[in-house]
Amino acid sequence: MTHVNVKSVAKSYGSTPVLSDISTEFGEGSFTSLLGPSGSGKTTLLRIIAGFIRPDQGVVMIGDQDVTHVPVWGRNIGMMFQSYALFPHMTIAQNVAFGLERRGIRGEAARKEVERALEMVRLPGFAERFPKQLSGGQQQRVALARAIVIKPNVLLLDEPLSALDRRLRQEMQVELLRIQRQSGLTTIFVTHDQEEALTLSDKVAILDKGKIVQIGDPATVYERPRTRFAAEFLGDSNFLPGVVEAGGVRLEDGGIIEVAGSLPSAGTKVTLAVRPEKMSPAGEGKNRISAQIKTVIYAGPVLSYHLETSQGRELKLFSQNRDGNLMREGENVTLSWMPEHTVALVE
Amino acid sequence: MKTLGRFYLFAILAFLYTPIIVMMAMGFNESPLYQLPFSFSTRWYVALMGNTGLLTAGLNSIIIAVITAVVATSLGTVASVALSRHTFRGRSLLQLLLLPPIAIPWLITGTAMLIFFYWSGIGRGMHALIIGHVALAIPYVVIVVGTGFKTIRADLEEAAMSLGSTPVHAFYSVTLPLLFPSILGAALFAFAVSLDQFVISYFLATPGYTTLPVQIYSAIRKGFTPEINAISTILLLGSMAAILIFARFAKPGENRDPR
Amino acid sequence: MAKLTAQEPPLAAAVSSSQSRRLPPWVTTGALLLPTYGWLTIAVFIPLLAMFAFSFLTATPLGNKPIVFTLKQYRAFIDQPYLVGVGLSSLLIGFWTTFVCAVLGFFAALALARATIGKTKETLLVLILLPFWTNGLVRIFSWTMVLREGGFLDYILHLVAPQAGSIGFLYTRPAIVVGLVHGYLPYMILTCYIALSTIDDAIIEAAVSLGARWWVVLYKILLPMAAPGLISGAVLTFVPVIGSFMEPRILGGRVGVTMGTVIEDQFTQAFNWPLGASLSFTLLAVVLAIFATFSGVLKRGSVA
Repeated sequence: MTHVNVKSVAKSYGSTPVLSDISTEFGEGSFTSLLGPSGSGKTTLLRIIAGFIRPDQGVVMIGDQDVTHVPVWGRNIGMMFQSYALFPHMTIAQNVAFGLERRGIRGEAARKEVERALEMVRLPGFAERFPKQLSGGQQQRVALARAIVIKPNVLLLDEPLSALDRRLRQEMQVELLRIQRQSGLTTIFVTHDQEEALTLSDKVAILDKGKIVQIGDPATVYERPRTRFAAEFLGDSNFLPGVVEAGGVRLEDGGIIEVAGSLPSAGTKVTLAVRPEKMSPAGEGKNRISAQIKTVIYAGPVLSYHLETSQGRELKLFSQNRDGNLMREGENVTLSWMPEHTVALVE
Repeated sequence: MKTLGRFYLFAILAFLYTPIIVMMAMGFNESPLYQLPFSFSTRWYVALMGNTGLLTAGLNSIIIAVITAVVATSLGTVASVALSRHTFRGRSLLQLLLLPPIAIPWLITGTAMLIFFYWSGIGRGMHALIIGHVALAIPYVVIVVGTGFKTIRADLEEAAMSLGSTPVHAFYSVTLPLLFPSILGAALFAFAVSLDQFVISYFLATPGYTTLPVQIYSAIRKGFTPEINAISTILLLGSMAAILIFARFAKPGENRDPR
Repeated sequence: MAKLTAQEPPLAAAVSSSQSRRLPPWVTTGALLLPTYGWLTIAVFIPLLAMFAFSFLTATPLGNKPIVFTLKQYRAFIDQPYLVGVGLSSLLIGFWTTFVCAVLGFFAALALARATIGKTKETLLVLILLPFWTNGLVRIFSWTMVLREGGFLDYILHLVAPQAGSIGFLYTRPAIVVGLVHGYLPYMILTCYIALSTIDDAIIEAAVSLGARWWVVLYKILLPMAAPGLISGAVLTFVPVIGSFMEPRILGGRVGVTMGTVIEDQFTQAFNWPLGASLSFTLLAVVLAIFATFSGVLKRGSVA
């Protein structure tokens, strides 16, 4: 249970930079998700923290120790892999005891620890079975037990739930969270699934093309994205281009939009980002825009609409299905939303 | 159409096995001149017991096959580790270089060995035979073990390292046990390859030290009795047994990750 | 449950001291590869070079004979015209063996892939391949039992037609081809089978649904898709066959004269090693040319 620090970490393969100048801290006991599309560098960063990859530049600290040049087997980490990576020729107990044995804990003491770890992941009595006898979800829990039984400094998870089906995934997410809270392990979790990142983490770090685009708690990152990429990758977003004026932003159709918080100087071109669920056809907010409904999608609890403004801008609207009433294609509506839900992005 | 196919396969099997069965049967036939009709007798197997030429050659073949299996498997497995797990320039070229011993007609390789061994003073005989047989068996070992490597996911070793194993320990405790069936299979393969090897042995044997196939060949050329059938039957059954055991061991899927 | 406390990393101390002793990766890789490739160099590559050198000598350097270099060994085909005939007959034997293997083997593979399932298929495959890994010499010897006058073939014939003469055809060219086909057929079946088994059933179903009859399916779909397997099987049959000497000798007797037997003669009877070396190398050149021509197909269709 230690904090982890990376300072100015960079890595290139040949002439292609995979990570550029990554500096951030993972607080003691925190659960941080590294979120991003494939190729964003999130797995590379995890593996650099783990020790499988040496960074070209920068420093990795686990606790107060500079581990940049310490190989993976000396770092006291716990790691979970997407493919579980259980040793097929060993029993569950032998798998879980593997790291203990490396640390000189054997025999009766090891057996007790293994039992405790298996109970913690709710697989008591599985000790003498073999991995191939277990289901995917069970195997992943064994992998978790194996990683935490050694009381590592930090828990690193490389998309461990991607191979599970939806229901199982959600169950495992709950388990993971419970165990992380119980053990207090500093946890770094790589995923490309934004829902997962939002549900599990204390902090979300969004990566794009080798850089950390934004890092913060889920609510902040979701409600106040700092770049277009962050706004688009995490959830859906509507984008409206405009120019800053005194008091707000002037849109293409002439309407003035108020934004909570400070704006750049007048004359700057900005893009306003508004989440589709923040808009409403029932005229309460100060900001307005007119559009015509092009497509209606009935998705059960949510009604989504695709609209087009008179300027040809595409908009999305999410509406809670409160009374089962749908608007119709071709209808002209005026959408309104609040200034607090408007983010001005400078590109 | 399907019955036609099955009938055809049966005909093919008949074609493949009839000569073999005939040869084996003639080893139990009374007549020294292979005259039919058939009359059962084990006299040739008895006579075989006294045929020191064939028996010595047989023993030599077995000894050489065992040595070949051990040496070729060790060298081949070690090389396979590097070829499967390490990345380096020239890897494809090195993999290609394993093909000549098995792709080039053994007549060419055999005569080349004869020339070189004579000229360099290595000479012929047991040591030459071992050098030749091992060289032929190594590519098969590398192929078999290499295929075994492919079924072992690389992240197993990574998981071991993340738990505190050095790379060497990870190899010993995780990869090697999983590779064991392939290694055993490769050894059996090498054994069978050496036992059945004729051409190379033919050129590297001496009048004083020869292998069973070479001895059988001289007998065929010079005149023979059904003792040849007896020893050939034993040899054949031995190879078949070795290959059947190999086929059971090398069944893939045992150690593959469930996904 | 109480919060777990961190434990001392097990080998951190040992590791930092081993930092300085870390070997560059090429050393370990090299050490792993050296024994194997060293062995192969001494046993195969240098001998081939030596043979190449030898092919330029006038006579086998025995005792104190002087070493004289010449190109005359490579003119053997011109100096001794009978060698051209021998070469051609070797190629012919190679062609016939490969052709018969291809036809018989392709249809056997087809039957195996499409007319059998599951356990039967597995067992049949093992049964078909089993002879391939047994002693080639013994198998050829077995054929003498069948083909010789008064052998098994004659025995069967005389069961039905006791007055007929002998149909044993040992010591003829066809006998050589039969023996060679018997030897290489399992391998051809294997390569064709592997190529055929990758053909998705759905492709054939699609063709049939578009109106194709079985011969069209065979000709336009199965054969082209199995071609890599067929070709690699053919190459890996043709090459060893043109270099064979044991089968022609045993099954062909006096008639069994091929490049292989001529080369072997130079080393065991005529003691003209330089000629043997040059003929051997010529054969090697043909083999390499064949491999080079078909290298693309071989890579895709090979069994390894």
